[in-house]
Amino acid sequence: MHDTSSSNVARDIAQELAGCGVKLVASLPDNWLIDLITTIEEDTRFVHVRVNREESAIGLCSGAYMGALGSAALMGASGFMTVVYAITKINYTYEIPLFLVLTLRGAVGDHHKHHVSNGLYLRAVLEAINMPYLIIESAKDIPAISRCFHHTRIYTRPMAVLLTRDLLAGRAS
Amino acid sequence: MNYLDCFRALAARRTDEIVITSAGNSSQAWWALTRDSEASFYLDASMSLSSMFASGLALAQPELKVWAFMGDGAFCMNPGMLMVEREMNLPNLVHFLVSNRVYGATSNAALPNFETNDYAAMARAMGLERVFEFRSIEALERDFAQLSAANAPGHTFVVLEVEPFSAAEQKMEQPPFDGPELKFRFGRHIEARTKCTIFGYRL
Repeated sequence: MHDTSSSNVARDIAQELAGCGVKLVASLPDNWLIDLITTIEEDTRFVHVRVNREESAIGLCSGAYMGALGSAALMGASGFMTVVYAITKINYTYEIPLFLVLTLRGAVGDHHKHHVSNGLYLRAVLEAINMPYLIIESAKDIPAISRCFHHTRIYTRPMAVLLTRDLLAGRAS
Repeated sequence: MNYLDCFRALAARRTDEIVITSAGNSSQAWWALTRDSEASFYLDASMSLSSMFASGLALAQPELKVWAFMGDGAFCMNPGMLMVEREMNLPNLVHFLVSNRVYGATSNAALPNFETNDYAAMARAMGLERVFEFRSIEALERDFAQLSAANAPGHTFVVLEVEPFSAAEQKMEQPPFDGPELKFRFGRHIEARTKCTIFGYRL
């Protein structure tokens, strides 16, 4: 049985990221990610960089790859929808791996009507640009995060994990 | 200051710096003057992200000195990058803002508010301390040692006020590399310089 309180989920995700070699974490907040971002900020295994917009995270993490530094970009679904240009231009043109940790906004359980667009288009956009993704919806799925990170290095392109509200709120065992 | 003369002066003073260029004119100029395809990464396929890309690399490899070139067209799309650069405050990064007051890669179309944008003031307003501004080759040559001083405390931001490319200069060759070729040339150079492993990833 997994301990699924939100802080423990955040701790387990951070552990997973550190375990697969992520050192740099670039983030822009989403309410659902606050516990995770706070956990990473306080964890000395990471260099946490608060970015001004999501595209900056794409640039930072791509440059870090060219210096052999493992990295992850954390952002909300809405933020991801603003970075399609940067990802297709940098990460697809040069075949630079990128690991994205996103929120699955607009899905069942999200009570914010302004995220309906993400419910309609987030996964459709990921599929349109041929970006693999995996939905992490329970604590027992968290170990898949490092497998997805490794996949970006083998596939030499971006991949995203999509974290659900129930997972991040500590309601999904 | 003539764009190419400015880059020629910088190229002549470069020692072992790693260079990241941006979309458009800075890539053309750097390629024309250096023909460097190993220690320079031509980030043509990006607007406004060359300094963030350079920051990631500079963070990853602190012993490397990294120069990032960016036009003011790209800068205006993402000036908040300076907040991130200030917070990271990497002593091994120099961000050159090449200000020609136009979108050089798109037929020199004018930038918004081009007559009054004060990029050095914007940088200072975001807390950057090592801010330089050059309007002539003479000044650049005279003060170059200050801006390139290794291990100077904190990140360096340099505004280069240059003239837009002429019609003939606009026709200069773009760096003739497909993306993966450039990635491997550059990455192998970084691996050799730092003994890191970028491409030998094993599970």
